[in-house]
This record gives sequence, structure tokens and C-alpha cells, in this order.
Amino acid sequence: MVKNSKGIEVAQILQDKCIACQICIGECPVGAIELSPEGVAHVDAEVCIGCGKCQESCPVEAVQFERARKKELSREERGMPPVGIPGYDGVAVFIEVQDGKGVQVSWELMGKARELADKLSTRVMGFLLGEEGIGRIAQDAFAYGCDEVHLSEHPVLEGYRSAPYGHALTHLCETVKPEILLMGATYLGRDLAGIVATHLKTGLTADCTGLSIEDKTRLLLMTRPTFGGNIMATIYCEHRRPQMSTVRPMVMRLPERVPGREGRVVLHEWSPPPMDLPEIVELVGDALEGGPDIVQSAALVVAGRGACDPQAFHLLQELADVVGGTLACSRPVVEAGLMPYERQVGQTGKTVAPKLYIAVGVSGAIQHLVAIQGAEKIVAINPDPNAPIFKVANVGIVGDYARVIPEFINQLKHRMGA
Amino acid sequence: MHIICCIKQVPDTAEVRIDPDTNTLVRAGVESISNPYDIVALEEAVSLKDRYGGVVTALCMGPPQAEVSLREALSLGADRVILLSDRAFAGADTLATSYTLSKAMEKLSREDPIDLVFCGKQAIDGDTAQTGPGIATRLGYTQFTYVLSVDWVDLQKRQIQVTRKSQGGREVIRGSLPALLTAELELAVPRRASLPLLISSLQAQVEVWDARSLEASLNELGIKGSPTWVRAITSPPARQGGPAFDVSREGDVGAVSKALDTLMDEKGFLSKLLRKWED
Repeated sequence: MVKNSKGIEVAQILQDKCIACQICIGECPVGAIELSPEGVAHVDAEVCIGCGKCQESCPVEAVQFERARKKELSREERGMPPVGIPGYDGVAVFIEVQDGKGVQVSWELMGKARELADKLSTRVMGFLLGEEGIGRIAQDAFAYGCDEVHLSEHPVLEGYRSAPYGHALTHLCETVKPEILLMGATYLGRDLAGIVATHLKTGLTADCTGLSIEDKTRLLLMTRPTFGGNIMATIYCEHRRPQMSTVRPMVMRLPERVPGREGRVVLHEWSPPPMDLPEIVELVGDALEGGPDIVQSAALVVAGRGACDPQAFHLLQELADVVGGTLACSRPVVEAGLMPYERQVGQTGKTVAPKLYIAVGVSGAIQHLVAIQGAEKIVAINPDPNAPIFKVANVGIVGDYARVIPEFINQLKHRMGA
Repeated sequence: MHIICCIKQVPDTAEVRIDPDTNTLVRAGVESISNPYDIVALEEAVSLKDRYGGVVTALCMGPPQAEVSLREALSLGADRVILLSDRAFAGADTLATSYTLSKAMEKLSREDPIDLVFCGKQAIDGDTAQTGPGIATRLGYTQFTYVLSVDWVDLQKRQIQVTRKSQGGREVIRGSLPALLTAELELAVPRRASLPLLISSLQAQVEVWDARSLEASLNELGIKGSPTWVRAITSPPARQGGPAFDVSREGDVGAVSKALDTLMDEKGFLSKLLRKWED
């Protein structure tokens, strides 16, 4: 037991558990804790009063006291009902629109919302914004499991711009008061979610890979990769509503579409406050530069650092053609300027979940692996038998791709009966 | 022109991981660096200053040792640097962080009105991309995220035009100043520090602002102002790998053949492939 000169047992920090979140620093009533140059919490023993607040607030049990101390009882331990905030109810999904249609990630989230709503015994709502007539998309929302579509239509909402969308979606949240709001972690979704959460002063958790309801508290537990994908953190938001979360495309499973399934449409009047609106001067589509969308492709052939050679791309494209797929790459290939960013798979690129994923010369850094978790079959071709990619691949070939791939194409064509 | 650039000091995340056996954090060799996207943003801020004239102020919220990032900012061309450091700021999520930074900007704006704010598109430790929009919303500035290039600034008409990433491509968009921009990597190529600037940055005094000097409401700062909390930390789920066949042992033909056997083991895989995955 470590005591200070006043005989008080002081907090011990377990260095290899501390994640430097600094919560204890904020909680300590006497300012005894600071972040050491090594990036872990450090307790000044002479200042510490041994109150244990740091231990209670630590999310990773990195604070230790030998002597058991009185812990503040949680609500459930005191036999009180689970937290919930009166007046907020229902699970809402923001329906993102592109080219006049709802984007797929919104329907993926509708499936997740259904699951969460069933657990909470509540309803699934779609929040939809756009120009007049956008309400027609409600039919798709119902087909994917939505019960109610809440809608605001206005000419200003034709085409996405941050400020009016931020204002209109905030207005919908304040009017309808959903318990949970889910959005796609797309360029649009990430631009918009931060605005709405700030207006509503609520918690927002980005890029969640897991969403579930905690039985006892009815809180939304949001799991996301952090520290570049090396660590998963589970986040919750107890005192503010809605509990907001964004999810990347292809992380949640697309629910079955039930055409003809019906629901209720509720129109909410909204008009923009006086504001200086930015003007979109020009739009340049991806199709003109990046080629097919790697997120939508059922098969991907992915060039990594070990195949970072324009000469190799012809061979890889040939393989992609045989398997009915698209050519993609890992970060070093983009950094070398050999493929556009739109083709990059990884933490800083796109998350993908194809049926077949062929990694060629991809070593398998954690930032790459977190983005391919959802792939059905992973094939790895790499000359280094110790490459981490082999630990996750369904099947691997240790060898030089320049020799392996022609043989692979050859045998594959043969088996396909060509 | 008064340009603000926000910089975050982050652990070099490529090095942080969890020991799967002990479920503890392995931090040996993990260094703190300035968030790379922020350094790109700073480069653009400094080059706009060179083009249009003005002052670049770099802001960083963090513990005292984060001043290292601000010295780096000085060496890369920032004119003034301010460290926002106070125990009351500790444990902040993005809502509390955007509050603290926006309070500092309100104070700076009273001295010299702000025209532009730059942030990185996201920080590599959290990857949330939320702090930039949070600041823009609080201050009522025009928001441009994922900026690829700044086309021009018109200080007379108080307008700016940028090219930014948007869903399905790029958009060229113009709007009013003051504006907040978040930087994609493509926005700029950071310069190397010159020796004289490097030396003067090491000798410079870093201003430190605390909660009181921001006239901030204590309930909105740090952990008190953060609606999100961490419940648990875990290792990423592991995926079970299959066999690997080595061409040096099996030969090219043998290794490929065995690999394809393994792949085709699953019923229907070949037919899915033949139907080009349409089902």
C-alpha cells in the first residue's frame, strides 16, 4: 500500500492500462493528477486525498487502491429504474439522398435501427430532407423496415449544403425527439452530424462498427475503432438525447427489402433562417476520375506496397476481370500517386465488404485490416510468410505475385470452364 | 487576414496496440506527434498568408507537453502560438473540445477579427472529424469540410472559393468569410522548417491560456462538458485465418491448385463466381 506523508493511501496508476483519456485528471477534486511526459496519468502523492473519484471514473480499471473503498452506488444498485430521458422515444435514421435516391448506407442503418427499436419496444423513423417531392423516397424507407418518415421539404434543401441541412435536421430532432439518431459516415453524413450534435449539445460517436442496447440501462452502446484501429472503444451517452452515431457504409447488413410494406409520412414545416448561403459553382463526379465504386464491388483485387508498380496493374486488372471485380489498392499505392484516392481501402480510405477480396502484396497493417473485416473470403498473395495479412486470410499463397497470378488466372479459368 | 490553425498532439497511432494476452496497452516506443492533417492545414494557412498578407495563429488544446506541437507550428511559419491548457479541459470529448477552442477564438477575434479557421479533416487518434464542424457551428462560420484546394479569397467582397470532396466526387463551392475549413491530405505539401525558424521556435515563449482567461463556463469544459463516456476498451475482433501454401515448397502450380481447392471448398462459391456474384 502506498501512503503519503499524511498516512493516506494514494491512487496507483497501472501504466500499461492507462489510455491517457485524462478523465481522472478532470475528475480529481484536488488536481493531484497530471499527464506524464510518457503519456500516462501521474498522481502527486502529497496532493492526493485518496477519495477514489479517479478509480470510479476510469474506464479501463487503470487506477488501483488496495483498501476497498466505498463506491457510489449506481442507479440500478440502488434499485432505481433505468435511465431514460422523458419525452424522447424512437430510433431515427437520417436518410441521405444522392441522385434522387436514398443511399444504401441509410437502408443498412434502417436494418440496424429495426433491431435496436425492437429491443427498446419502440418505432423506427426515417428523417428525410430535400426539395419538394422528395417524400417519394419514403416508400423505399418503409420497404426497408421504417415505420414513420418525418419529412421537411424546401427549395433550399435541393442539393446538400451544410448550414441549411444542419438547421433543418436539428429542427426535426427538436420536434420529433428521437431517443437515437443514426447517420451514414459518408462525406455528407460526417459533415452534417457534427453540426446537429453541436446544435443539440448531445453526444456523437463516429464510425461505429457495433451498436447494441444495454439491457439494464436501455442505453445505446456504441463500439468504434480508435487509435488508428488498434483498439476498440465502447462509448455511451447517458444524459443527453438523441444518442447520435455515424456508421460507415458496408458495416451493417442490408435488410431484406419488402416492397409494398407501409408506413406513415409526417410532413414538418420548415423554412431556413436568414443566412448567407454558399453557392455550389461546379460538381465533378467520381465516375470521371476514379472509375467504378470499390465499395459496391462484389470482388476486389487489391494492390499493396509489394505490388506498387504500374506494370503489375495490367496483370491485376486481368485477374479482376476474371473474377468479375474491381482493382483497388492500399495506402502506399495512393501515396506513390499510382491510383486515385477513391480506390484506397483502409482506415483512411474506404471500408469494404466484398464477397471475394484478393490482396496482392498487401502486408496487412492494422489500419488496412479494420476496413476489410466484413469481407466474405480473403485471398492473400505475398512473398513474406510472416505478413500479418495471412493471419486473417481464408487462404494464402506465399510467393511472388508476378509468377503466382498468371498461374492463378490460368487455373481459375480452367475451373470456370473457359 | 487573420487565420487560425488548430493543431492536436496525438500518439503515433501506428504504434499503439493492445497485448492480446494481457488485454493491456503496449506503449513502448509510442511517440507523440502533431496530427498530420493539421500540419497540412497549417501549410495552407501559411501559404495563404504569404499570398494575401496577414497573421497565422496556431492553437492547441492539451497538457503542458503539447507545447512541442506549437513550437513545430512556429518553425513551419505560424506567427503566434497559444496553448490551451487547464485541468478543467481534461477528458474532453469533441463537444467540449469544440467549445474550448471556440471560446479561445472568440477571445482572439475580439483582438483581431478572424477571417479563416483551418483544422485537419480528422485527428489520427480518434478519426472523428467532429471538432471542425463543432467549432464552425458554435461560431456561425461558413463550413467547408474535406477541402482539396483553396481557389481564391476575396477580402473586399468577403468571399472564399474552395474545391472539396463530396459524396460521389468533388464540388467547387464559394461562400462568405469568416469560414472554417478542414484539410484533406491533398490540400498542401508541408514544407520543411528552415534552420533560423527552427532555432527561434525553440527559444520562443509559448502563451498559455487557462479556463479563466477564456471566460468559459466550467460546466461545458472537459469531462463535465462531455456527453459521451468510454465504457470499455478492447482488442479488435480477430478473424480466423486459413492455410497458406508456399510456392517454394509446393511449386507455383501446386500452391495455386491447393489454394483454389480451399477456396472452392465452400459449396456454391464457384457458381457464385460464374454468375459474377449476381444473386
